[in-house]
Formats: sequence, structure tokens, C-alpha cells
Amino acid sequence: MPVKHRILDGCDVETFILCNDVDEGKTLGLRLMAELGFDDADVVFCEMGGPGVRIRLRGYVYRPSADYRWYGPEVEQHGTST
Amino acid sequence: MERARSNGITRRKVVLAPLDPVHDVGLKLIRRKLVERGHQVTLLPPDLSMEEIVARAKAEDPDFIMISRALSYGISELLAKFVDLCDAAGLREKAKLVAGGLSMKPVIAQELGFDAGFGPDTPVEAAVAYVEGQELDRSTGSKRREKPDLTAGFTYRFLDGEIGSLCTTIAQQLIDWANKRTSPGIERARLRVEMESARDSNPELFARLRDEYASLTSGEVKEWYLTGKPVSHTRPITEKEAGYIRSLLKNADELVIPRSQDVLSDRNVFVQYGTGCPVMDAYHSNLSIAWGARGVVHFDPSWGARSEGLLEQAWSHEQDGTVLTLDNLRLIKDGIIPGVLWQVRAHRGLNTPETVVLAHLAGADLTKINIVYGSLGAGSDPERLTVDGVEAMKLAAKYNLPYDVVTNEELCGVPAAKAFAGMLIVATAGVLLGGRPLLQPLFANSPEGMITGYTEHNFIDFNVAKMKVLSSIIDAPIWPGAPVGFLTQTQDRCQSSVMTALHAALALDSGAMAVTIASSDEAYAGGPITAPARVDTLKATVAALRFFGEGGIRPTAEADRIAEELRQGILDVLKQVAARGDFVASLYEGHLGDKEDGAYPGRSGKGTVTLKH
Repeated sequence: MPVKHRILDGCDVETFILCNDVDEGKTLGLRLMAELGFDDADVVFCEMGGPGVRIRLRGYVYRPSADYRWYGPEVEQHGTST
Repeated sequence: MERARSNGITRRKVVLAPLDPVHDVGLKLIRRKLVERGHQVTLLPPDLSMEEIVARAKAEDPDFIMISRALSYGISELLAKFVDLCDAAGLREKAKLVAGGLSMKPVIAQELGFDAGFGPDTPVEAAVAYVEGQELDRSTGSKRREKPDLTAGFTYRFLDGEIGSLCTTIAQQLIDWANKRTSPGIERARLRVEMESARDSNPELFARLRDEYASLTSGEVKEWYLTGKPVSHTRPITEKEAGYIRSLLKNADELVIPRSQDVLSDRNVFVQYGTGCPVMDAYHSNLSIAWGARGVVHFDPSWGARSEGLLEQAWSHEQDGTVLTLDNLRLIKDGIIPGVLWQVRAHRGLNTPETVVLAHLAGADLTKINIVYGSLGAGSDPERLTVDGVEAMKLAAKYNLPYDVVTNEELCGVPAAKAFAGMLIVATAGVLLGGRPLLQPLFANSPEGMITGYTEHNFIDFNVAKMKVLSSIIDAPIWPGAPVGFLTQTQDRCQSSVMTALHAALALDSGAMAVTIASSDEAYAGGPITAPARVDTLKATVAALRFFGEGGIRPTAEADRIAEELRQGILDVLKQVAARGDFVASLYEGHLGDKEDGAYPGRSGKGTVTLKH
């Protein structure tokens, strides 16, 4: 089972992307998420400063009510231990 | 080796040595703990050569040699050489070698021949436990099972006689008015009690009651009762999902709060869940509890407040808010760590009394009721919600369920003085009905704060003024929310976490019994809140509490001035409402918030109140 399916809900990617403006930064960010294999991605935060954007991207692996695959038979159910 | 006199622990000789030129803080902390527990400890100074350390250690004949290293360059070679020197000196025959520090990776330390390695996140207690031959008791001070009573010790006595007298007069009037009336919401609450009583024991009676119940529902809820067609964006929870939730508690006894979050162990920090899916809710609740939350709040969909009637069975909802049914509540309760406070909100809609019934039947610890907010900020008809709200408060008193009286109408633009007047009236009615309300002021950069300039220079004074004025009026518990920090958070995770944490710290520093916090996704509307976003603000709140400690947060003199303005404003509003002599009329006429403020009397349920026979 891919590790991706052990993610409870979403996976955030935070980075700094060199670009000319916020729009370009967002476009590049979403391209990055697509390259990483996240089909359900969004820009949570993006702010231009100096040479690029400080950006936070989110790929939802499971939205609520989805068909969660952490249930896979080979995966032990995860209790409350931390 | 000898037994330490005081505590029966075997006394050990320990040599502590930094392998850095200057960094020995960690070793000093370990020394303090070991000495406190009766061990004989020698801390060598920094900047000794490894040969000197070995020579000094040999002279001490220790049971343990613990070295630390903060800098990472060349660490493998250094550690390997140190092990070789100790071997050559014969120290390994007796002493165990331990390596720790910021640059240490336990696996590498052991590969290089150390008996143990401690990484940078290791608590001092772990090193002490190792010396004493114990497993670190990670649960010490971290497991929590006792639920606090947030209302304990409060007398509900008015400290401000003038305001108290007005609140009592108005509250009694509204109770007397409501006592003569009923509504479909009250009838359904009665039916729900009877239905749950008959469900297993008397199927015929149950079916008859259920038909009667269905006749009092509306919209898609009615359609479901009549045809079985699911409400939009919902689907039944599967057996597999239900079973999965129930299995979540199999390791509940092993729940350990990360030590870094221990500061929350005696603070009542609440988080809201309501992802739409009970499975996800149970996970979000439990991970929040694991990171220190003391309570969780059930957040239901907004459409549930505008429909007559509540569904039955367990449902997953694809949008915000988890459907309020007894089965959903019981399912979630089955999956949440025991010992946590659990609030089910009943504050705003057409199912307020029945929600209190469900909260009781499902085993909730708290609920939420406010006639004024529900009427002016959440779309319910004032007359209807007054009748239903009084019934809900009677039920809450009967079931011994405390409830907060929320003031989120401030977010619409209603000034705090009006919102507080409404909250105090409702809370007074609650006390007269035998209940235990908690006051819930909004900690936020509210429209009023921006317009008047109360929040122009800081976010402290306005919020502290709210705490000051409320605690000067009545001896009642205060629980800021919900969640704190509204309109101060942005989509930036760091900024959002900081704002939430500072508001939480301010609330707790100002004498709040509890506080409800947001996630770092508070200002993000593009999708559901994620698990890491919940951890973010819990960790940030710990950091803020740790930072301020007993030092406190200092408001400026403005806080006292604002508090006095608020008191005068509350008094003026109460005088208006009392002079009108009709609480419901005051709601319609805007005494507790008008259209200019941004408050509109709701229309849901209009015309449904009837006089009792």
C-alpha cells in the first residue's frame, strides 16, 4: 500500500518558489502538486516577497466521507497511542 | 553501589562530560535531576580532550559515563574514538557508555558501541530512568481520566446589583411568557424521549410515535422519514466504518500526551470537530486529545438548524458539519477517548430542545444554548427560539448538563454590550430554571472592535475588558470562544497559529475556566480542516502558555476604560428591554441588536409557536 494512503486526510507542502508574481507562484505550486501525484490540490496560502512566493499547498488524499483506504487489510488499525 | 537513604533508589556514580567546547546545558539538567534523586554525579568541564575525560572518569570509577555532543561535524569519528579509549582504559568492564545531544542519533550511537544513545527530543527523565534501570514511565502526569466540572465553585450570585436586578426581572418575564407556549420543536423533544424509551421494548408504540414525529418535520428531513430518501450530500455510515470507529478505543488506556504538551494537562482547551464524517471526527478528536485538548465540541451542519426535525441512524456528510443524530453521536462517543469533555451544541435552530435530549442520551457533558444569538445571528425566529430555548434550558437542568451561552452575534456586528446583555438575560433565565450556564464572550477582532478602535493598537484590551466586566457583574464561569481569535487569523499557518495561541493564553491568563481554539486552517475556506492543522494550534497554545507562564499578560489602562463603557452599555440595553416589558418584542425591535448593527431577526420557524391548551 502506498504511504500516501496512510495519510489521514491531507498533505501540505510548504516551500518558497522563485517567480515573478503571486499568480505565477500559484500556478507553479499547483503544477508541483500535480507532479507529486496529488489530484485534489489547492493553494492554502501564497504571499509574494522579494524573489518569489512563500507558499503552502495542500493535497487532499481523503476528504471526509471518502472511501478511506487506511482500512486496507494489511494495515493494522491505528488506535490512540502516540 | 548503595541504597539512597531517602527514596530507596540504588545510588549510582555517574560521570557527565560534554564533548563540545561550551555546550553542556543538557548535562547540567541531567545532573540536577540525578542529584535530586540521590545519585553521585561528577560533571566534567567543557573543552577537555577525550583522553582527559577518560582519565578523569577512570579516577571516579563510575557506573555510567554520559557524554553529550551538540555539534554534528565529525561526530562518528569522535564517538568511535571515545569508545576505543574507554575500552583501552578498562572502563567498559563496569561503566555503561551513553551518548546524547542535539546531533545524536540513537541508532548510530549504539552502532558505534555505546550502550545507549539519546536524541535531541529525549526528556531529561529518560536519561534518569536509564541510570536507574527503569523504563521511562511516559504516562506519568500525562494520562487524564477525571473530567473537571467547569461550573464548580461558582455561586451565580450577581456582584452588580443594578444589572442583576434588571436581568432577573427580564428573565422571569421571558420564562413566564414561554411557559404558556409550545412549538413543534418542544413536541418533537418530548416524542424523542418517548421514542427512545419505546424503541426496543414496544415496537408498535415506537412506530406510532415515529409517525407522529415525522408529521412535525419539514423539508428533506420529512422526505427521509416518509420515503427513506437520504438528505442531500449524505450517505449512511457503513457497518465497516462503524466497526472501525469502535475499534479506535482498543488502545485508549495507552494514550499518552506528548510531554511537550503537558502544560495543557490542567487547562481546559476545547476544539471543534465536525468534518461531516464520524470516522474522521473520531480521529480528529483523538489526535486533538493526544496533543492536549481537554474537550471536543460537536459541530453540526447549518441546514440542520433550519429544518424541523432530526434524522435517525448514522450518516456521513460530504460537507461541513456532522449530522446530528443519536446514532451519530453514540458512534462518535464510542470512538472518543474517555475522560474528555464532550459538548453537543443546541444553540441556534429549530431542534434546540431535542438536541439537548440527544446530548443527554448520548452521554455528552455539556451543551450550548443561546436564544439571542440564534434569533439575531443564526436565522431562527425569535419567538420560536425563545420558547424552544426555555424548554432546552429546563431539559439541561433536568439532565444536569451545563451549557455555554455564546455571543457570536458580535461577528454580525452587534456591539459587545448588546450581546452581553442578551447573554446575561439568557444565563439568568438558565439559573432561575435550575441550570448551570457558562458565559461565552467572543475573543475576536469583531466589527465593533475595528469600528470603535478598541482593537486598533492591540488585541488585549478589548478582550480583557470583556473578562473584567463579566466577572464584575456575576460570579459565573467564563469560557471564551468559540473559537477564540475570530477575524484575526489569516491563511498563513504560522500567523494563524500564533494568533490562536495568544488569544487562548490571554483567555486563560484572564481567569477563563476554559477556552475553545481554532485550527490553523481557521481562515482557509477551500476545504476541510486537516489533522496537522489541529496539532499546529495545540502546539502553539502550549508554546504561548509556556512563554507567559506565571508572568501574565499586561493590558493597558484602556482595558478598564472599555470595561466601564461595556458595563454602561449593558446597563442601558437592559433598561430598554426591561422598560419594554416583553423580551421577545425586544428581540424583534432590535434592543439586543438591530439591522444597523447587522442583526436580523430570523425567519425559520416563524408562526409555529402556539399557546398551550
